[in-house]
Order: sequence, then C-alpha cells, then structure tokens
Amino acid sequence: MSEATFTQLLDLACGGFLLAAVIVLWRRELTAIIQVFALQGLALAAIPLLLGLHEHRADLVAVAAGIAALRAGLLPYLMRRALIASAPAEDRGRRHREGSDERRETQPVVNVAASLLTAAMLTLLAYAVAQPLVALDPTPATRALPVGLAVVLIGFFVLATRRRALAQVVGFLLLDNGITATAFLAASGVPLIVELGVSFDVLLAVLVLQILTTRMRTAFGTTDLDDLRELAD
Amino acid sequence: MNVIGYTAVVAQVALVVAGAPLLTGLMRQVRAKLEGRAGAGLIQPWRDVRKLLRKQPITPTGTGPAFRAAPALLVATAAVVAALIPLVSTQTPVRRHADLIVVVALLALGTVALALAGLDSGTAFGGMGSSREMTVAGLVEPTMLLAVFALSIPAGTTNLPAIVSGAIHDPTRLASPAGLLATAALAVAVLAEAGRIPVDNPATHLELTMIHEAMVLEYAGPDLALVELGSQMRLTVLLGLLTSLFAPWGIATSATWTALAIALVLFALKVAALGAVLAAAEVFWAKVRLFRVPELLAGSFLLALLAVTASYFLSGTGGGL
Amino acid sequence: MSVVGSALFGAAGAACAGSLAGLLAPARLRAALVGACTAVAGLAGVVAGVAALDGGRWSADLPEVLPLAGVHLAVDALSGLFMVVSGAVVAAVAVYAVGYAGHGVHGASSRGAQAVLPLFAATLVLVPAAASVSTFLLLWEAMALTSLLLVLAEHRQRPAVREAGVWYAVMTHLGLVGLLAGLAWFAGQVGGETFAELRAGGPELSPTVRGTVFVLVTAALASKAGAVPLHAWLPRAHPEAPSHVSALMSAAMVNLGVYGIVRVGFDLLGGGPRWWWLALIATGALSAVYGILQAAMSADLKRLLAYSTSENMGLVLIGIGASGLFAAAGHPALAGVALAAALLHVVNHAAFKALLFCAAGAVLHATGLRDLDRLGGLRATMPMTAGLFALAALGAVALPPGNGFISEWLLLQSLIHGLEVPGVATAIVLPLAVAVIALSAGLAAAVFVKALGVGFFARPRSEQAAKATECPASMLAGMGLLAACCVGLAVLPGVLGGGLNRAVVAAGVDGEAPLRAGGLDVRLDALSSRLAPLWVVAGLTAGVLFASALPRLAARRRERRRNARLWDCGGGAPTPRMAYTATSFAEPLQRVFDDVLAPEQDVDVTHARESAYLVERVRYQRRVPDRIEHRLYRPVMDLLAAAGNSARRLAPGSMHLYLGYGFFGLVTLLVVLAVGW
Repeated sequence: MSEATFTQLLDLACGGFLLAAVIVLWRRELTAIIQVFALQGLALAAIPLLLGLHEHRADLVAVAAGIAALRAGLLPYLMRRALIASAPAEDRGRRHREGSDERRETQPVVNVAASLLTAAMLTLLAYAVAQPLVALDPTPATRALPVGLAVVLIGFFVLATRRRALAQVVGFLLLDNGITATAFLAASGVPLIVELGVSFDVLLAVLVLQILTTRMRTAFGTTDLDDLRELAD
Repeated sequence: MNVIGYTAVVAQVALVVAGAPLLTGLMRQVRAKLEGRAGAGLIQPWRDVRKLLRKQPITPTGTGPAFRAAPALLVATAAVVAALIPLVSTQTPVRRHADLIVVVALLALGTVALALAGLDSGTAFGGMGSSREMTVAGLVEPTMLLAVFALSIPAGTTNLPAIVSGAIHDPTRLASPAGLLATAALAVAVLAEAGRIPVDNPATHLELTMIHEAMVLEYAGPDLALVELGSQMRLTVLLGLLTSLFAPWGIATSATWTALAIALVLFALKVAALGAVLAAAEVFWAKVRLFRVPELLAGSFLLALLAVTASYFLSGTGGGL
Repeated sequence: MSVVGSALFGAAGAACAGSLAGLLAPARLRAALVGACTAVAGLAGVVAGVAALDGGRWSADLPEVLPLAGVHLAVDALSGLFMVVSGAVVAAVAVYAVGYAGHGVHGASSRGAQAVLPLFAATLVLVPAAASVSTFLLLWEAMALTSLLLVLAEHRQRPAVREAGVWYAVMTHLGLVGLLAGLAWFAGQVGGETFAELRAGGPELSPTVRGTVFVLVTAALASKAGAVPLHAWLPRAHPEAPSHVSALMSAAMVNLGVYGIVRVGFDLLGGGPRWWWLALIATGALSAVYGILQAAMSADLKRLLAYSTSENMGLVLIGIGASGLFAAAGHPALAGVALAAALLHVVNHAAFKALLFCAAGAVLHATGLRDLDRLGGLRATMPMTAGLFALAALGAVALPPGNGFISEWLLLQSLIHGLEVPGVATAIVLPLAVAVIALSAGLAAAVFVKALGVGFFARPRSEQAAKATECPASMLAGMGLLAACCVGLAVLPGVLGGGLNRAVVAAGVDGEAPLRAGGLDVRLDALSSRLAPLWVVAGLTAGVLFASALPRLAARRRERRRNARLWDCGGGAPTPRMAYTATSFAEPLQRVFDDVLAPEQDVDVTHARESAYLVERVRYQRRVPDRIEHRLYRPVMDLLAAAGNSARRLAPGSMHLYLGYGFFGLVTLLVVLAVGW
C-alpha cells in the first residue's frame, strides 16, 4: 500500500468515525442510533487494520478483527435486545404520548440544534488541545488525533444530556470508542492485553446497564433517567 | 478559444433555460413511476410554461412594482449563475469573475426578490411564505459559506473554475473527508435553497406546510410562468453546481469543440441522473416540520464546519496551512 | 497652507457661521441657513479628506488655542478616509435637514438644536484630524456633548427621549472615563502626549502597559461604535433622536469609534499580541449576531436600523481583529486586505445607513409612525422615499449588486485566505468568523425584507400610513445625494482603491497595495480573487430584459394587463389587517432563536359572553427585551442604587456636617502630605 493511499484511507476512516458520532447526536430514533454506532465500530476497526497493513503488524490486524466483532457485532446486538426488551409490544399502542416513547430520545436535556452546535465547538476544542501532541510527531496517524479526542468529548456530551438510559449507554460507548481511537492514532495502539481488558470492562458495563434498564422499566415503567431522582426522596 | 468560450457560456445558459422544465418533468415522472402512477410525461412542465406564457398578464389589486419585477429578477439571477458556474467548460470568458461567493449571493438575491413579492401582495399567505422563506434562507447561509470555505481550501481560491479544474486534475481531493463532508453539507443546503423535501414540499398547497408556494400564490399567467421557470432553473443550476464541484469529470478544461460537445452531453446526463436520484429519494422522505428545519440546518452546518476543520485536521492539506 | 489645512479651517468656520445663524437668524430662514453652512462644512471635510487620501499630509500645532497643552492637528490618509465619510454624510444630511427640521413640527427646528447641529457636524469632521491626546479628547467630548444635546431635541414631544438621553449621557461619559484613563496613562508612560511621541514610544512600553491601554481605550471606543455588550445606549438614542441626527450618529459618529481603535491599536501602539485581536474578533462576532437578531425582532423601524448599526460595526471589528491577527503573525499582505475590507465596510455602511435613517425620517415626517406593524403601502404614496429605502436596503443586505456586498466579499476573502497563517487560533477562529458573517448576512436579508416589505409594500395598515404624502424636495435631494454615493460605491468600488491602500499603509500595516487602484473591478493581487460589480449589474440587467421578453416572444397576441382580485379563499376581499405584520414576520426566527432571545409573550383571550367556546378578542403581545442589557446592566444599576441609598445616610441635610466633611478632608490631605513628604 502506497503512502498516499494509506493516508487517504486512514483519513476516510477517521472522517467516518467522527461523522458517526455526529449522527448519533443528530438522530432521535434509538434503533437508528444503534445502527450508526455499529457503523462507527467498523470505522474504528478500520484504523488498526490500516495501521497493521501499513506497518506489517499481524497483531494489529487481529485487534482490528476483535474490535469489529465486539463493537460492530456484539455490543449493538446486546443493545438492540435491550431496546426490544424495554419496549415490549403493549407499549407500541401508546407510542404517541410524548416522553413515554421508549424507542425515541424525544426530549434531550439540550435540544438537538444546540447539541449539534456544541459538537462543532467541541471538535474545535479537541483540535486546539491536540495541536501540541500532533506537533511532537506529525505523521498521518497523529494528525488525525483530534478526531479521537472529539469523539471522546462528544460521547461525554451525549452521556450528560440524554435522558434515555440506552442513549446514555451509546454515549458511554462513544467515549470508549474515542479513547480506543486516540490510543491507536497516538501510539499505534495499547498493548493487546490492555485492550482486551478494557473491552471486557466495556462489555461488563453494558451488561450491567442492560440489567439496570430492565429493572428501571419494571420499577418506573420508563427509562427516563430523571425518574431516578425519585430514589433520593 | 474565444469563440469556443462564448459558445460554452451561451450553451450553458441555453441548456439550463431549456433543460430546467425537462429536469422537473423527469423528476416528476420518476416519482410517479415509483408511486405507481402513469405520470404526465417528460415535457409536461414545458407545455405548462408555454401555456402560461401565452395567457393574459394579470395584476392582483394592490400589488406594486416589486411584485411585477420579482419573477424576471428570479430568472435573471438563475441565468447569470448558469453563465458563471463552469457547468460544461472552465475556459469561459467569465472564468475570472466566477466567484463562488458571488454565486451564492446571487441565488440569495433571487430568494429575496421573491420574498419581497410575497409581502407585496399584502395577503396572509404571501407574508407567511416570505417569512418562512427568509428564515430558512437566513439559516442556510452559514452552511453555504462554510462549504464554500471548505472547497476553497485545497484550491487556495474561491474562484469556481479554479476549484473545478483543480478537482479534475487531482481527484483524490474529492474522496478526502473534507470533500465528502462538504458534499454532504452542500447537498443539504441545496435541498433547502431549492425548496425540496424535507425542507419544503414543492407539490403542497396546504397552508401549514407551504413555503415557496405560499409566496407565489398570487401569481398567474406569464408571471407565474416566469416564477415556475425561475424555480426550475434554480434547481437545475444548484444540481449543476453540485455535479460540477463533486463530479467534475467531463467538464471541458481545454478550448476544443469536441471537449465542449462531450461536456454538454455529460452535463445533461449527470444532472438528469442526480435529479432522478433526488426524486427517488424524495419518495421515501417526509417533509420535516418547519421548526425541525433548524435542526437539519444545524446538522449541515456542523458537517460544513467539520469539512473545514477536517481539511487541516487530517493530513491531506494539513500541516502546510 | 495646504488644501487640507485650509479646507479644515473652512469647515470649522462654516460650522461656527452655521451655529451663529441658528442662534440669530429668523425662524423662517434658520433651517436653510444652518443647512447651507453645515453642508459647506461637510463639503470642506470631503475636500480635506480627498486631498489627504490622495497622498497629501498636513499637520499644525496651535499652542495658543488651548492653555497648557495646545492643539495639535495632523492629517494622513487614514484620517482622510474618515473625514471623507463624515464630510459626505454631513453634507448630504445637512441638505436633508433643511426639509426635515424646517417645518417646525419637531423639536429639531428649535433655536438651540439648530445652533448645535453645525457644531456636531464640525466635530465629526475634525475628530480624525486630532494629533494629540488632549486635542483628541477635547474634540471627542465636544462631539459627545453636541450629539447629546441633539438627541434630547425632541424631549418635549416624547418622554422616552429623556430616558434615552440619560442612558446616552451616562454611557458616553463612562466611555470618556475609560478613554481618558487609557490615553492619559499611555501619554504618562511615554512622556509626551502628541501622537508622534506616542507612535515613537508606544511599541517600546512593557506588554502589561500596552495591553491595559489597549483594553481601556478599545472598550471605550467600541462602546461608541455600538459593539455588544457596550451597546445599550445605541438602540435607545438612535431611535429617539431626530432622524437627521440619527443618520449622522449612525453613519458618521460610530465610525469614529472604529477610527480610534485603528489609530490607537495599529498606529500608536504599533500592533499587538494575538489576544488583543482575538478579543476584538469575539466582540465583533457577538455584536454582529446579537445586533442582527435584535434587529430581526424589532418592529420599530429606527430601532431596527440602530441594531443593524451594531451588526455592521461588529463586522468591521471582525475585519480589524483579523487584520491585527494576521499582522501579529507576520502576514502583512493579508492584514492589509482585512483592514481594507473593514475600512471599505465603514464607508459602505455610512452610505447606506445614512440613507436608511433619512428615509425612515421621511416616513416619520409623513406619518408620525415608526412602528412597522402600522405602516405599509408607502410605495404608492411615497414612491421616491420607498425607492430610496429599497436602494439602501439592497446595500444593507450584502447581496449583489448592492454596495455592502463588496466589502463583505472582501472581508470573507481575507478570512478564507487567512488559513495560510499557521496557528491554532486562526484555524479555529476564522471558520467561526466566516460562519458568523454568513449568519449575520442571512439574517440581515430577513431584517431588510421585513423593513421594506412590511413597512413600504402591501397596503397601509393605519390611517396615517394611508394619508402619507411624499416628503419635500430638500429631503429628497439629501437622500438623492446619499443614493448616488451608494450606487457609486456599488458599481465602481475600484475608484476608492488607491485611497484605501494609502489609508491601510497610514494605519501602519505595510503590505503592498492590497487593492488594485482604479479599474472597474476589485482585484486582490495577493489572493488571486476578483470581483466585477459592473459586470454583475450588466449580467442581471441582461437577464431581466431576457426574462421580460419571454412572455412577448411566446404570446400569440399582445394583451393588456388586467387587474384581478386577490385570492380570498371565497371569504370576501382580504383587509390590510389580514396581512403579515413585522411581528408575525419575525415569529419563525423568534422561535428558532428562542433560547438566545428569551422573548416575553402574552396571549390574552377574551371569551364572548354567550359561550366560553366563542372568542371575542385575542390579544397577543410580544416583547423581546435586550437580554444582555438585562443580565449585565441591571445588577450593576441595582448595586449602584443600593450604594447610593446607603450613602444617603452620610447626607442628612445638616449644613454643619457638610462643612465638617470639607474641613476633615482638608486636614486629612494635609496630614497625608506632611507624613508622605
């Protein structure tokens, strides 16, 4: 693979990775959000794959395969199951009632237009913050570092402003995707064992959240996290 | 060179004027077929325009010069833009003046003229339409100009022929994240500017949803013909702009007759294909609520901003800047 | 003495003569005499400015005029540019004022107001000529005081004028305090107060001193330019002043704030670090977006124009900030383009804004109304005024072929090419600045479509609007002059090229000439961009002719235009009450920017007596308070009021106590001196 093609493909993967995060912010349907998240997983997997092919490292290719399986396969599958579990058939009859619709992020804390503009600012912030790091070693991979940071920030933002538990899970996973991407771009990846450990943690977290979501549904009839405030009373 | 250059400009304008109704006809036909209807045929919009042009001109009571001048101005802006954009050739006599910002501003001028006409009619419909149109137009502007910004970075200028010939000679620019994001952003902005679904529905006459149709409700006869023709030309020109910027292959960069002929045919094919794709997509889309439109535009604004930042984030042109 | 000098003295002389005429002449001749003298003063300013722009330099020291400091005057191309703008606006507005103030219906025709007008006009022309701190401050204060008196001219007619006057007086004097503190400290540090000494000593001062001086002076000057958040006086004073005074303030006085920033920031301090200019860009961006949003919400024609001034000055500040940023990064060519764009926008804004305010004044004169919701239909009764307003609005919306487009195009070009300047700051700020300019241009289109379409088109919504008559010839003549300026600037901007280049160089940005002088188009050699306004006009004209010919070509026989009823949905002819008003026009924008504007709405439904389901009357009220003012000024004012209340205890009314304060103060001072020595 020539240097130019590698750069081009890497840029495209990073662009797609960032775009997916933005679309998660944009869409309201949770099913669509999960789909986009799966696509982002593929874009994320493409980064170590390209790095591995470019630097002829088999371990990176293996990591890429693992990431693709986990982030584009298993996690979206689990979330989809959680979604189906949390919005059973009898719920569809009253889907039109605002706020009680489990399949849509109807009213995020910050409205969608404002969150998109915030995402724009966060991206610029990520760019500004990453500049000194890029200056250390300006390769094509490190130049794309701000993309990883931007996804971390956007993920955090989703986590902080969404009401549905599942949307928050996606926010958390975005954050994690961003961290992974940053690691790959900055230093061609963390050691394999750490990556495995982190992935396992993430899986565990999703499972816990899934259980929590189901519990919340049985307790409150909704997964609107604002209802958790009642626990404090 | 000069003769070929002038021919190219004349051909661009003539093709847009004559082809605009055909494009609309094609899009309606595609839509009709997909919806299981027979459709009115490709040249129906042509017949409509001709019929309307032959009717007696009518002035609604209480309207003034702005109302009468707006249709001609709408057509004029679209025609000037058609002459400026390198639709078929970058070697035209106007190439030095074909600035992308001027193109965007001229299209906005057409919008403003029609909005004034809508207010001039003094009816609730006209005012409603122009109020909504100006809201959308005002919010589209940042996206448009940021997309312009993103496109001008690799070329180092906002001059359209320079951008287009740069892209022809270096196609990797188009496949870079910046290029793709700018495409997406500009595409959304074009939908909004041309008043297509999901921003506005050109086929609706329901007051809750109308934008463009409400503004031009009072027009009849030849004036209406010009308004229709002007809107169709705008759509053609905007789609042509998209194809020139993001699929520039085939546009004549040298002043030869063969290149020009090939470019003309390719231009017609590209715009027709894009129109057909748009029409097909519209079958599956719904118009969004008026107050969801800002969300859509904020999204496209974000894409445009990302396009600008991506061009120096990522290595393509970064570092050097 | 050179042309510049004699013209300036001529301007001052004409203004004094005008002022005397205002005091002494009989009421019938007063307006004409004052107008003539003011116009002469303005023309003299134009002559002086053109001579300076042409490369003439002039300076004079008049030590005997002012005790202690003396008066220092100097004119270079930068001053010349602002003199031309002020002079041209003054001359045209003076002609207009003959008709506006001459009819005796307004307070503007009173003896006092007439006597002050020429003096205000003269200070507008003379402020750019000041070449020492004391002279500058003196002229500046004279300008502020005379304008304050003129703002208050109609205080008998409307109580709101007094409130506006208080706001203006307080803000402008707070500004003066800042300016005085900054410049006096600057002069003290340098050890001299003429601009020549400051220019020599400015760059050598410590960064802290320079930064403080810049912040103080810029804040004061930006307040004069109407920059948000120091704009609170502007939307009050401009609408309440007589219209010719509004025109002078909005088209000439605010420019001098910009002049001061360029003079001090670039020329005297010799440029500065990046944060100065980033702060300036941020202020400009805030002013541009906030100003135009408030204008979009406003239904008062003159208030709308006042907020639009804030917006345009914001754009100018963005240009100046960008120029400083590029200069600080060592790109003088780009800095030159950005500064030229900002200065050209000052010129363009002056032309169209003066015309807009004059036209608004003509409407006010004819109908007594400023409320767009009650105007309408004026294009039939006041066709000339409506046409002139439309021409100026075309300049204000920054679309071709208007004059505002050219400067905004230049500004955008400089920003877009600014990415060549390396650095995180430019990479982040420039795209945002482009977005801000685009948003404000887009909203400006909505604003002026509203002003023109609701105010002048459609049918009259009130009796006053229906009975309006065209304004007198002198007002039309004044507006015609301004319109000619607008058209000239729109079609032949190249004419200004050489002068702009010299002004940019005089400001201390030494790039090679950014604009090609002369010629029909605007060409940026550094950026390989060009714009040919004349060709755009020609193309549009050809297009319009072609489009109008289409129906004739297609028609089989010529038929006359026929009138027809408006579409009424079968419910009877629509009345003007059914037409969209300015408030309803702005409603979608208000909803979109709901979070930013926080409007207060009030819907009041009166039900019919027979049934709760029948509605007799619905009353809708909307107020869009100036939120920045609310959040920023209210607490300060409350604090001041509280401090004043508590301080009242010190003044119980006893004469002995007051004398005691004085005695105590004197003794303390002496003790301090005795110990301190």
